[in-house]
Amino acid sequence: MKANGISGAAPAAWLATLGLVLVVAVPFAAIVLQAIFPQIGQGSFAAPFSQFYTALGDSALLAMSRNTLILGFSVVLLSALLAVPLGVCRALYKVPFAAFWDVVLLVPFMIPPYIATLGWIMTLQPRGYLQQLAGFNMAPVLFSLFGMTFVMAMNTFPVVYFAVSRTVEAVGSRYADIGRVFGASPARAFWRITLPLSAPGLAGSLMLVFAAAIEEYGTPAALGGRTKFQVLVTGIDLRVSDWPIDLPGAAILSIVLVAMSLITFLLQRWILARRSYETTGGKPQNKDKRPLGALNIPVLIAFAVVAFLATGVPLLAILATASSKTISGGLTLGNLGFNNFLAVFKDSAGALQALGNSIALGVGTALLTGLIGVLAAYTTVKTRYRGRMLLDIMTILPNALPGIVVAVGLILAWNMPGLPFTPYNTGLILLLAYCCLLLPQPVRYTTAAFQQIGDNLEAAARVCGASSFTAFRRIMLPLVFPSLAASMLLVFAVASRELVASVVVAPVGMQTIATFIWRQFEQGSIGLGMAMAFITIVITTLLPLCVIGLMRRVSVIQD
Amino acid sequence: MFKSIKSMALAAVTAMMMAGVAHADITVYTAGPQDLIDKLASGFTTQTGIKVKVFQATTGKVMARVESEASNPVVDVLISASLDTATDFAKRGWLVPYTSPNAAKVPDFLKTETAVAQGVSALGIAWNPKSNTPKPTEWADLTKPEYKDLVNIPDPAQSGSSFELTAALQGTDGWKLFDDLKANGAIVAGANADALNPVLQGAKAAVFGAVDYIAMGSKANGENIDVIFPASGTVIAPRPAMILNWSKHQDEAKKFIDYMLSDEGQKAVADDYLMPSRTDIPANRPLISDLKVLKYDAKAIYGKRKDTLKEFADKFAK
Repeated sequence: MKANGISGAAPAAWLATLGLVLVVAVPFAAIVLQAIFPQIGQGSFAAPFSQFYTALGDSALLAMSRNTLILGFSVVLLSALLAVPLGVCRALYKVPFAAFWDVVLLVPFMIPPYIATLGWIMTLQPRGYLQQLAGFNMAPVLFSLFGMTFVMAMNTFPVVYFAVSRTVEAVGSRYADIGRVFGASPARAFWRITLPLSAPGLAGSLMLVFAAAIEEYGTPAALGGRTKFQVLVTGIDLRVSDWPIDLPGAAILSIVLVAMSLITFLLQRWILARRSYETTGGKPQNKDKRPLGALNIPVLIAFAVVAFLATGVPLLAILATASSKTISGGLTLGNLGFNNFLAVFKDSAGALQALGNSIALGVGTALLTGLIGVLAAYTTVKTRYRGRMLLDIMTILPNALPGIVVAVGLILAWNMPGLPFTPYNTGLILLLAYCCLLLPQPVRYTTAAFQQIGDNLEAAARVCGASSFTAFRRIMLPLVFPSLAASMLLVFAVASRELVASVVVAPVGMQTIATFIWRQFEQGSIGLGMAMAFITIVITTLLPLCVIGLMRRVSVIQD
Repeated sequence: MFKSIKSMALAAVTAMMMAGVAHADITVYTAGPQDLIDKLASGFTTQTGIKVKVFQATTGKVMARVESEASNPVVDVLISASLDTATDFAKRGWLVPYTSPNAAKVPDFLKTETAVAQGVSALGIAWNPKSNTPKPTEWADLTKPEYKDLVNIPDPAQSGSSFELTAALQGTDGWKLFDDLKANGAIVAGANADALNPVLQGAKAAVFGAVDYIAMGSKANGENIDVIFPASGTVIAPRPAMILNWSKHQDEAKKFIDYMLSDEGQKAVADDYLMPSRTDIPANRPLISDLKVLKYDAKAIYGKRKDTLKEFADKFAK
């Protein structure tokens, strides 16, 4: 082991590596091999690289890549515009009903993006809910690049909001106060001190939004199809679901997508590597927040409007669809009925089974990604292991892998003949798929948290005789736990409704929430699908809230 | 009460019988409706004791799975929603030749040496009677001013049956119909379900080339939707079932095909508003004999599938 003074956490590094190899490297390697050897699915290494020329020479690739980047940047921009002011207000000032807004802004995480998009379509399209209520529709706005950006940003901006409000809160106003003492104006203190110190959280969350935006399938497929705005993910999906299947082509496009995500990641790393962001030095934080004063009402209105658009509209649209007897009946009292909800509780088409499966998988994914994530983040931030950069890259790879590609990669990897054990065709393959797709969340959150912890804390523990494991468990883990717990709850919510990978990789005979909903849509039972979606949103919102409440009671985390 | 005791006793007896004979499970991948395969699977298990493991998705997703599993395949019976895949698999030599005794009443054009249709769907105009538009009777009606901006077309690149309709109509009349549709503001809207949903809510008046059984099922659930089969002709989409040659349970797989084509199996098909592939099974919907089916050379149209799709896409691209 390399002596670097403070770290002796070899087991952490090894465990993280093992987990990452299993969850990320294996399916990714399968994809790369598929891209190079087009016939590897048949067990042949013939004609290596033969598909690269056709796939990369395709003129559509340039347009798809350009559209992907445009969409990614638009979503990041709009998310930041919405989330940063709100997050900063929430962190530094006494916002009225602050806890309520936090809960409301958690809900978009629980709304599957394809459901939210469908909700927006059913609200804004001609004769949609808006027109039935208000007499006009906004179809031209929705079916455009702006509409796509808007719907996606509504789904993703809470990532930035929570990251900014938590990191700015952790930075606190203490440092800015020192600036004030030395004569800086409040604005100057904020721009020069608070905001730069919050950069890890902000940059990390913006990167997650970018990655999520370029990886998202449902919204570009539903809204971009009309305007012929094809992105890489829809291109990949077309290659794997249009007969004859073009797996090598899909693999090559995926590698382009991965490259995009990696470049963003390296950029972010480069920006952050130039400074130190330690703000947690062991001294108590002053968490007193200031009153908003005259801004009370405007801030309240801003929160209300954004929360209504992000949470209210999609939820109401889902509820309206789920409680309509028929779609064509519209919003009338006579058309109101709860048959769809009853059908779910009567376990029609295996609804309850699907709910149970997804919740179990969600919990499993949260635990596993939390464990691997915190170990990997610790290893990359706090140790000097050679190869920690490689670990870091492995944690970012899944960000760029579309669900469908992870699914295909997992099948290619785990369905090879002659494996002594395979998770394929069991629920475990779904667990692997979800872990791969969601691992970046705990890693990003805990990395940002670790970056703000001074090295002296761990060193002090070691000086006082703690073993490296004890120091990690008693000092580091509790300090990052709030971030870790938040990310694990997020993972739970997202995993329990993941769609694209589930559709392809689900073991025979096993349904998840998302595959259930998707099947209902495919077969024309939109109401039943929406009822299931609504129930899922309620469960995945309430369950984490109960967990947080419980943890507060036993004071694992403080408010 | 008595009924539930009876069914419990029946289940217990079946379980005992099944325990006596050890049977291998078979795995069925299907692009057909979920509740249809659920019915077929449970009926088959009750009758034979052979368990059925099911994977259901769209044709594309099913094929992606078969393709990525190719080095170590799992599927025994495959039910696709496109005849094209059956032809392609046969060419690759992946299929077991089998003619079920129950296939005697299946017309020749719905079976080959290696595949037989589970059922058949047809393409029609799905029209919302509350849309304030006159009831269309012909494909060309949808190019009239009354339907300006009110028509959805399922993307032929995403829906196999939509492709066949596009190719068949293009083969009889050239691209004129599609140029007129485009000029009338018709748009291409995702796969079948994505195209139908806006028509149910009333954002659009009609789907040009909807898969009929989904719309008929919606109508049965009380939705305002009618399916119209133009007298000038339409295309049908047989759903071929096939046994893969790597299957280690080929005998059981053959029994499943037999069951699927039995009276009971075909009734389940008809209950889902698909046309049964056996001509002697009644169904609550128009049958092949009631429709005019456009004649076209499947081999030729699939031969130039890429070009047709490209031309179609260019036409409807902005």
